[in-house]
Amino acid sequence: MRVEVLFPEICNLSGDGMNIRYLHQCCPALEIVETGLKDRPAFADGSVDLIYLGSATERGLELMVEALTPYRDVLTERIDAGQLMLVTGNALDALGVYVSSDDGWHLEGLGLLDTHADYHMMDRHNSFFLGKFEGMDIVGFKSLFGHTYGAADQVEPLFTVEKGVGRFPGAAVEGFRRKNLLVTYLTGPLLVLNPPFTKWLLRQMGAPDALAFEEAAMDNYHRRVEEFREPGRNYMY
Amino acid sequence: MGKLRFLLALWAAKLSIPALKITRHNGTDFPGSLALKLCPDFLRYVGKPKTIVSVTGTNGKTTVSNMLTDVLEARGRRVLSNRAGSNIASGISTALIRGCDLLGRMRRYDIGVLEVDERSSPRIYPFVKPDYVVITNLFRDSIMRNAHPYFIADVLTASIPAGAKMILNADDLISCSVSPDNPRVYFGIDRMDSDVTECINLIDDVRICPRCSGKLEYAYRRYHHIGKARCIACGFASPESDYLATGVDLGARTMVIRENGKEYPYRLITDSIFNVYNMVTVVAALRQLGFGHADISETLGATTVASTRHSEEQVGRVTLIKQMSKEKNALAGSRAFDYIAGRPGRKELLLMMNCLGDTHHWSENTCWIFDADFEFLKHESIVQIVCAGARCRDYKLRLLMAGVPEERILCVEDEFRAAEALRFTPGDDIYILYGTDSLALAYRVYDHMKELALQRAGEKEVQA
Repeated sequence: MRVEVLFPEICNLSGDGMNIRYLHQCCPALEIVETGLKDRPAFADGSVDLIYLGSATERGLELMVEALTPYRDVLTERIDAGQLMLVTGNALDALGVYVSSDDGWHLEGLGLLDTHADYHMMDRHNSFFLGKFEGMDIVGFKSLFGHTYGAADQVEPLFTVEKGVGRFPGAAVEGFRRKNLLVTYLTGPLLVLNPPFTKWLLRQMGAPDALAFEEAAMDNYHRRVEEFREPGRNYMY
Repeated sequence: MGKLRFLLALWAAKLSIPALKITRHNGTDFPGSLALKLCPDFLRYVGKPKTIVSVTGTNGKTTVSNMLTDVLEARGRRVLSNRAGSNIASGISTALIRGCDLLGRMRRYDIGVLEVDERSSPRIYPFVKPDYVVITNLFRDSIMRNAHPYFIADVLTASIPAGAKMILNADDLISCSVSPDNPRVYFGIDRMDSDVTECINLIDDVRICPRCSGKLEYAYRRYHHIGKARCIACGFASPESDYLATGVDLGARTMVIRENGKEYPYRLITDSIFNVYNMVTVVAALRQLGFGHADISETLGATTVASTRHSEEQVGRVTLIKQMSKEKNALAGSRAFDYIAGRPGRKELLLMMNCLGDTHHWSENTCWIFDADFEFLKHESIVQIVCAGARCRDYKLRLLMAGVPEERILCVEDEFRAAEALRFTPGDDIYILYGTDSLALAYRVYDHMKELALQRAGEKEVQA
């Protein structure tokens, strides 16, 4: 089984790199392929079980879009054919139509998702998130310059919101799911913080769903779910 | 109207100072906050010292500001600093209020050394225009506030006045990118025996060329992106240092500063490379201010690193060590872990770098834990790690992921009970790691550790 990590030289903010490290610790048989900005992606040859794309700087988003543009059509074909792909943090914005920022910065995205982001550079959004995915509790954090908006309400969400901010303030849903393309704004070690979701992902890949450090991971997860659910605890920082 | 409003704000702020003294709140930023509330452009009107040195950067700015102030004062300069308050607009305002007269004129001080929070620079630099801007380094800090270091570099570039002379770390390509059109000098540390060429840290924010996005090669790398880089594709390279520390010997505590081909000896006041950078930064700033190497060396050698950051004492049969490791800051954690792992002797650790402020109504964003190099803590000399506080389970999981054997890890939520879980094995170095947020609690826990160390030593004597 092969996991392709796209652009590790730029997509490595907020502890995102630990997602694949943890997945590998759960399933040491995984082959991890790291694809650099100037490399031909392995997915272009149709030979990966999971593609992972993590958070980057704004310049990193530009480079990400630049590097993926020649492979946009093949990536779309793969996604429509059921390719498993996980996208976390602001990498979501590279897949959208565009990003506009209050400091004048503008990015044309890949347009794989019919959504666009508005950034407010000196007003960073910080919140914690409690939601649901196929009956499981999902926990995580958002630390972003903005939110994603648009006509994407028709696109299936990844998570439903129990407590926290979805695609934008007031939205009841978070992220996007297009077949097996799983896209969330949640930043950082999503898989480490959500061992049940990690088990689900391993099963989708056809890997055994045994977790590394399962007792410690589940103990941490249950405590966090309980903490986030406490009535007096506000999700906004 | 503006000036009248300013004077009213100044007088109100000045009046608050004795009131705060009486109520024993004289260390706060209240005067500055009040002045800014009454007169939002207060900083425009208040008098400033003739020369202003601003010190900013992710890590080391407090240490550098304090060392710089100490040396300048020891050399007879009247220095206005914000060391008693904060480094945001209210703290800078408070320092200026304390230093000026009732008409807002700055007469008592001839130089200002102002530690400035990077994120606050858009509120400060338009009015408090520094002659020199020292940037210690730019690393990842709190992702919640600072996002990533390139964002902070952009914020600084947009705020620093055009004429300010930049004093920059040549070994840090991110801070080198700030205010590219300003005049600048560089400081740095020459290749050391412990340097590597491939990064061993999780955080490595300068992997590609800022000019062409090609792969960078490092002639040497100290940690993270600190080192000397060159792009094999376009030839872009790290700048040369005007003030280069060479022959750094942490054991013998000596170094030489090379400037214009001449070498000047210095005694190190620290055995941590991070503080050597702080010293070299201070030397560069003082040279720019016109001081000679002999004077700098003599005075700098008599300064110390603040004990809130690192202190050690022998208690009973163990050595107790306070080690600051700023919360929400993966870089600070990585540097502290690396330092501890590299020191001689057996160690026991109490980790409590929790955000206490977040514990009650929010929940700390723990992403930073997964950016920090907990891998250093798997070193065999670290025989026990007790994880404390609300995030103790996160620490434990991260330590396991880093390869620390489970039998070395304990998870005890209550910090005082966690201290009691330490082994206090005679001869061990026992570290308490805390952040600024947990500082006050850490000091109380440390006192408890002292009692425990003495008690355990007494028990050993009875047994003997």
